[in-house]
Amino acid sequence: MLWATREGCHVDRTGCIWLIKRFIDPEGTFSFFADPGEAPEEAELFDVAGARLSHHGEDCSFETFLKEYSLKDPVLEEIAEIIHDADLMDEKYGRPESEGLDVIIRGMQLVLPDDYALTRAADSIFDGLYAYLSREVP
Amino acid sequence: MNRQRWLILIYRLPREPSGPRVAVWRKLKALGALYLQDGVVALPGEAVTREQLEWLQVQIREAQGEATLWKAQPNTAGENTALVATFQSSREEAYRALIAQAERIQRKVALGGSNALPEELSKLEREFRLERRRDYFRSPLRKEAAAALKAARRAVRQTDSTDGISVRSSG
Repeated sequence: MLWATREGCHVDRTGCIWLIKRFIDPEGTFSFFADPGEAPEEAELFDVAGARLSHHGEDCSFETFLKEYSLKDPVLEEIAEIIHDADLMDEKYGRPESEGLDVIIRGMQLVLPDDYALTRAADSIFDGLYAYLSREVP
Repeated sequence: MNRQRWLILIYRLPREPSGPRVAVWRKLKALGALYLQDGVVALPGEAVTREQLEWLQVQIREAQGEATLWKAQPNTAGENTALVATFQSSREEAYRALIAQAERIQRKVALGGSNALPEELSKLEREFRLERRRDYFRSPLRKEAAAALKAARRAVRQTDSTDGISVRSSG
């Protein structure tokens, strides 16, 4: 399946792409656009205003993905809290990791050439976060 | 000089319920947005501010409000300079408060300190990082605030090491 989102990914979109690859559609391919009007016709849009898989109410897109795909993994729920706090900067869950994750992904954005390179690199970060939290979460 | 690009959010929300109004206001405050007047806010145009304002627009519309987002440029360089200055001075107030609090912690250390100081200082350091993130035009006081917090941290660490096992400070 083809997934499309806005270019210039930050925590929420890099997190969603990792989630899609690992838990929803391992064969999925991704496309990034500057304007929603340029999105490929057949693509499933996410983290785009008005899309099904996007911000809703207080939720960031990663949280919406968990709900829409009924992913009830407590580790993913913790990652969702961290992404939420980093993305919306509202300290809803008071996750200290969010501050570091925000800075790291922003910095990677500055040095990596495009969203493909960025999301590939971010995959390792989320893999590591998942592995670490798996040991911590009851 | 190249004039700064701005983003202007014009919005209106129903008076009741007050929840969404407060949430939007709080979010704009956290972003360091400047209210030009009721329901009209300005932020410098950057990838991050743009994204955050786009989500606010969605949030406002979902709460039965109206919101339009504009890219804008003040008509004259003078107006632009004034806007930048307003942004800088709103951060300066916060930096000044942080500097005063950091100095107060240093004085408390000199008077013998207390166990609450490290935590108090961590809170200030966090506030500083949040302030720095929305300090879009690098207020001159940023450096001074950073230095005051570093000095307070050094002082607090030194009391830590003197009332326990003695640890030689590496400076």
